[in-house]
Amino acid sequence: MTALSPNVRRPLGDRIYKFLRSIPTWILWILVIMWTIPTTGLFINSLRTRDAQRSSAFWMAWQDNANGQQFPTLENYQAVLGAEATGGLTNGLINSAAIAIVATIIPIAIAAFAAYAFAWIDFKGREWWFIGTVALLAVPTQTSLIPLLQAYSRGVHVTIPIIDKTLTLIPDAGLAGTIPAVWLTHTGFALPFAIFLLHNYIAGLPKDIFESAYIDGADHFKIFYKLVIPLSFPVLAAFAIFQFLWTWNDYLIALTMIGGNRDALPATVVVASLAGEFGLREHLLTAGAFVITIVPLIVFFALQRFFVRGVTAGSVKG
Amino acid sequence: MDRVIAVVIGVVLALGLSAIVFIGINKLFDLSEKRFAIFNAVIGGVSGFVVFALLWGNQMIVSPEIVTLMATLIGAATGFALGLVKTRSGRLAVGVAGGLTLGLVAGSATRSIAWPSIDPVAVVVGVALGAGFGALHWVITRRRHSARVLILAWLSVGWLFGAWLAADLDGSKAEVVFVAAVLGLLVGAWIGSVPYPDRLTRASIATGSRKYIFLAPAMFFIAATLLVPLGRTIWLGFLTGTPTKLEFSGLENYVSIFTDSGIIDVSDWTSIFTGRLFWSAVLLVVVGVGLGRWLGRSGGTGLGTGFSLSAGTGMLIGVGVILGGFAFFTVIRGTIPNNLWWIFSVTVFSVGLGLAIAVLADRSKGENAAKSLIFLPLAISFVGASIIWRGPMYTARPPSQDQTGVFNAIWVQVGEWSTSDTSSLVISLGLLVIVAFAGYIGLRGWQSGNNAILAGSVAINLALVWLVYRFLGPGIGGVIPDPITGEPIPDPVIFLTSNPWNNFWMMLVFIWIQTGFAMVIFSAAIKAVPDDLLEAARIDGATESQTFWKVTVPQIFPTIGVVATTLIVTVLKVFDIPKVMTNGNFDTQVLANEMWQRAFTELNFGLGSALAVVIFLGVLPIMYLNIRRMQRERLG
Amino acid sequence: MKLQKHWFIAVLSVLALVASACATDEGGEATTTTEGTTATTADAGTDTTEGSTDTTVDEMDLTGTEVTVFGSESSDEEAGAMQDALNVFAEANGMTITFTGARDFSDQINAQAAGGNPPDIAIIPQPGKVADFAREGFILPLPDDVIAVLEENWDPAFTVFGNVDGVQYGVNNKADIKSLVWYSPTAFADGGYALPESWDELKTLTNTMIADGNIPWCVGIESGGATGWPFTDWVEDLLLRYEGVDVYAQWWQHEIPFNDDRVKTVWNEVLGVWDTPGAVFASEGSIAATPFGANGEPLANGDCFMHRQASFFSAFLPEGTVTGPDGISVFYFPPGPTGARPVLGGGTLPVAFRDAPEVWAVMKYYASSEYANNRQIAQQARKGGELSGFLSAAKNQDMNNYLPLEQVMIGFMLEAETLSFDGSDLMPAAVGAGTFWTEGTSAVNGDSTVDDATQAIEDSWP
Repeated sequence: MTALSPNVRRPLGDRIYKFLRSIPTWILWILVIMWTIPTTGLFINSLRTRDAQRSSAFWMAWQDNANGQQFPTLENYQAVLGAEATGGLTNGLINSAAIAIVATIIPIAIAAFAAYAFAWIDFKGREWWFIGTVALLAVPTQTSLIPLLQAYSRGVHVTIPIIDKTLTLIPDAGLAGTIPAVWLTHTGFALPFAIFLLHNYIAGLPKDIFESAYIDGADHFKIFYKLVIPLSFPVLAAFAIFQFLWTWNDYLIALTMIGGNRDALPATVVVASLAGEFGLREHLLTAGAFVITIVPLIVFFALQRFFVRGVTAGSVKG
Repeated sequence: MDRVIAVVIGVVLALGLSAIVFIGINKLFDLSEKRFAIFNAVIGGVSGFVVFALLWGNQMIVSPEIVTLMATLIGAATGFALGLVKTRSGRLAVGVAGGLTLGLVAGSATRSIAWPSIDPVAVVVGVALGAGFGALHWVITRRRHSARVLILAWLSVGWLFGAWLAADLDGSKAEVVFVAAVLGLLVGAWIGSVPYPDRLTRASIATGSRKYIFLAPAMFFIAATLLVPLGRTIWLGFLTGTPTKLEFSGLENYVSIFTDSGIIDVSDWTSIFTGRLFWSAVLLVVVGVGLGRWLGRSGGTGLGTGFSLSAGTGMLIGVGVILGGFAFFTVIRGTIPNNLWWIFSVTVFSVGLGLAIAVLADRSKGENAAKSLIFLPLAISFVGASIIWRGPMYTARPPSQDQTGVFNAIWVQVGEWSTSDTSSLVISLGLLVIVAFAGYIGLRGWQSGNNAILAGSVAINLALVWLVYRFLGPGIGGVIPDPITGEPIPDPVIFLTSNPWNNFWMMLVFIWIQTGFAMVIFSAAIKAVPDDLLEAARIDGATESQTFWKVTVPQIFPTIGVVATTLIVTVLKVFDIPKVMTNGNFDTQVLANEMWQRAFTELNFGLGSALAVVIFLGVLPIMYLNIRRMQRERLG
Repeated sequence: MKLQKHWFIAVLSVLALVASACATDEGGEATTTTEGTTATTADAGTDTTEGSTDTTVDEMDLTGTEVTVFGSESSDEEAGAMQDALNVFAEANGMTITFTGARDFSDQINAQAAGGNPPDIAIIPQPGKVADFAREGFILPLPDDVIAVLEENWDPAFTVFGNVDGVQYGVNNKADIKSLVWYSPTAFADGGYALPESWDELKTLTNTMIADGNIPWCVGIESGGATGWPFTDWVEDLLLRYEGVDVYAQWWQHEIPFNDDRVKTVWNEVLGVWDTPGAVFASEGSIAATPFGANGEPLANGDCFMHRQASFFSAFLPEGTVTGPDGISVFYFPPGPTGARPVLGGGTLPVAFRDAPEVWAVMKYYASSEYANNRQIAQQARKGGELSGFLSAAKNQDMNNYLPLEQVMIGFMLEAETLSFDGSDLMPAAVGAGTFWTEGTSAVNGDSTVDDATQAIEDSWP
């Protein structure tokens, strides 16, 4: 900090200056505390009985025992973990993991291929193909749900107009109501953003590495897996976190594609179901939300160090 | 446990198969240069398999497993032979033999449901059209390809349509064998007519195919899950009726969207200018701009221009702009203005706060802890977040009971302080002490030539003086006099039903979630600003805030664009929060939730699709401009 | 140029064929939908319906068959008890029945039906949706033998909910009663209050309690996105009492305008009581802020004397609250000026999407009194012997499974002169799940007059 012009500091007086310097830190931590209040409230409430949650605020939890309500209590967690309805939470967590892992890795791989092709393979109309692909980010994906579900449940059939005959392209593979249907859907929906993000980064890799590799006789496939994948590991990790969060927390796509097949429903659906009609047991959602959030948090902390460097190069470099 | 094993097997299979297919295809095309015969055999086998699998899928062949296997083998053998034989006549012979065999297999295995009764007119038309197309293709491609190959290829298609697809399917076994054999013959002749590729051509197959291999999976998924459904959505947008009884009705859906009184309501626009919000905004912007101009001219430490942009003036103008926006959006109501309000608030707050936190946390103590805590909400689903905010944050309870929501507890407590003479006096005095101290610091800063400190103290003091005025004067907080006794009683805010502000309370949830996203990306961008630029600015005598505004901000400007675009796209598609919190009632409707309600709750696909198109067209220009800008940056 | 890539072109053209065919598919699908409903309904299996009606399901061997059921009851107690009850039947027949309950059932069943992935049986809580599905050809009319079981066990007053244009599609498996006032008999006795026999008496009682310094009512209508629905129940209940079922039916079918004077009178009656100073615990202005589920605590604590709410309200009483004569009990929401004793109710209606003997067997089971018995026993066990929250009006069920208070509620339903379904569930969603709630709330808040609010609802009718 010695580089700072000294004429600013001295006339103000060291003490005042020190105080001013500490203001940003104060503001930061005030913001952090404000940001944490909802989650803290949720956590404290998850340790309280239903009647206590209803009748007093979470910061009054210390009085619960005086009011005849046990605090802290694990009964909400027991109820959530021991749930049977909608297939049970253990089953739900397994399904969530199955959905999120595949629906994270496959789109990343596919998007990395495409991003590489858009960035480093020359072909006609490349820019326009890229723009067209990324522009599909604007599609409200909810509208795709019913046609996709139809395709999964009935297969893909095409009626050829003039001769009026129906041809089956993909027979009913019985995908509706299964986890693979969710994989396919997530994969498609994730691609525009994934390609957008990865392309930014991969296009920004230094040109000379590729040129020397070509000269050494490497082909695109070799360059892709020997150079591009290791070099873009940070951005892959970054996207992996986002995609994992989205697929893990997804409720709508999974419920729509799986529907009434109880055994394949993910944890988000199980927990939402616990509340019941009219929010009869909404107090359980506190504990449920925590149980569900733990896994993405672990993933976040595990990948965080790659992550921070990840988005950097892509978005910042000119 | 069985379930776990099954799931693990499924996951491993899915990942493994994807990897094998992709690597396999790459390896396969590597073969085309040096081992053309093997390459050809695989391609031939796969082609035979695909065609017969299609027949199988249509339940058109008997004992499909064996027949398909046979077809695969014949295709592979033909391909292999074509990869070896180089003479023109030999190739033709091999092609015809292979094609004819496949045709005979197909013909004799076809089930009676697909036996065509040959219609000579259709055959003649099909063949003529095929030949015509072939010739046309040859001319259009400027005779680069052999005419024989093209005409044979198109003849096969013409024959297929004319003799088989267009025919009535009530023919005899002889007819189907004949039709299939001729088809096989034509296809075989076509493929056999292709000359044996030389080494250069084979090499270019290997390299030229990569773009397709790399793009095909992405394009397939995008087409299947986004593009085709988008086409369907656009088409459905012109239809009305119930799901099984849809009729074309032109622009009716769009007319009903834009004539709905709920979509946009400007009737009250004059009251923008009578509201306190608007004039506070004007005041803040005027003070901020004035202060900045004055300090910029008199100061002299700035890097150039005559305007001193610092945390202080920035805050004044920023808050002013926000208040101005709110003054507008709380008066101009309706679904579309609501969406714009969402975009405005979420972009301004998430970008602003995300940037602020990223800057403040940068290189400070406990940086990682702070950033992780801000990131935390991102790990909670929208539905979960809506439930938290509806519960411990926004709950309102009857005045006679203690408030259990954070917001109302604070609001009511402040109200109680402001109605009690002692506490309002104590608080005002406390605030005035801070005002005096901040003023003193501002003065010292000004004396020592640091205008940013002066601007900051003015900004803070404006807010504090306003608070003191409210405490001593008209009062502040959630307390009203009881209508009967006149005693002050708590008056909690019913956050989610009192419009128009209930909209903002829902946006706050979204801001709470998305700020973490913005912060993480900004934080990375800030760390990428080259140190030497910062050093240079400091050596020039710039203060920390000047360095930030004039060096860091321009450097990370492209990132702000990326974050803002992503946020806008997400905001326009958000429907979970309104759905869970108010379900679009109480004037909180947004386009995405409206679409959901029409399409899913009411099964009105026409109107729902039209709304989806409106959303799509709304986001499209933003996407387009952004991508173009990014591409220009990359090139320039 | 000697570039010859015809092998490659051949492969690509196959791919392109697939791709372009995919592209035409979805468009084509849209056309199929427009061209005729037959294709879709054929998928659902209607073409075989006629044949199955004369098959007697009872004698069929159901071993090894599977039936899936999808519904809105999702909490552990309700969904669990439903599954328990189904298991009894499934085990007896060597079959598997799985019940899935989901929170967003009403949107999801639409998506599943339209997407071609419906369950075998869906348990639909709104008659209006049963009618929509029937008209779309999504669901199957009941075969005669199922109708026979239904008619044997359920009164026509209930079965009519599953009847669409004279064809029976749904069976009944659950009944809710909404015309209930929850109160504490001991508190009434202590205050010397008698149960009111008419709406006028109820209003007098309200005023007496206020005069005694007691707070008569607990009212709270906050319910997130559905804020306002308890108000609509009051209006419906009172409209039935003032004008009778015929006017009520005309009203929800929109044969009379929503802001008909008779309807407005009822609104004013309800608001008149709620706005009486001292009448409502949540004090005026904050009725709309009080969660409807938060009325259990003050009622149990004696902060207020009465709360009008449906039978499921028992779940919102604080844990350990005693129910029955010594704790919290219910009385019938009293008759209006006409003296008629109507009941406002609800219920769920299983409907079938697949035509198979095992599906019809389960449908019959749903309509039977055995289901009611098994479900009630299971649900009561899961609730630890307290009010189960489940009610059935099946004729031949074993009433001994029910607690006395539950028997009282069922009695109200069976004795009712007329039974009407919740009108807001029958109106178009834009009104019944939209403006009726929101405009009702603003009238309760005093943000809007009754005239303006009802006019706004009338204007919003699609």
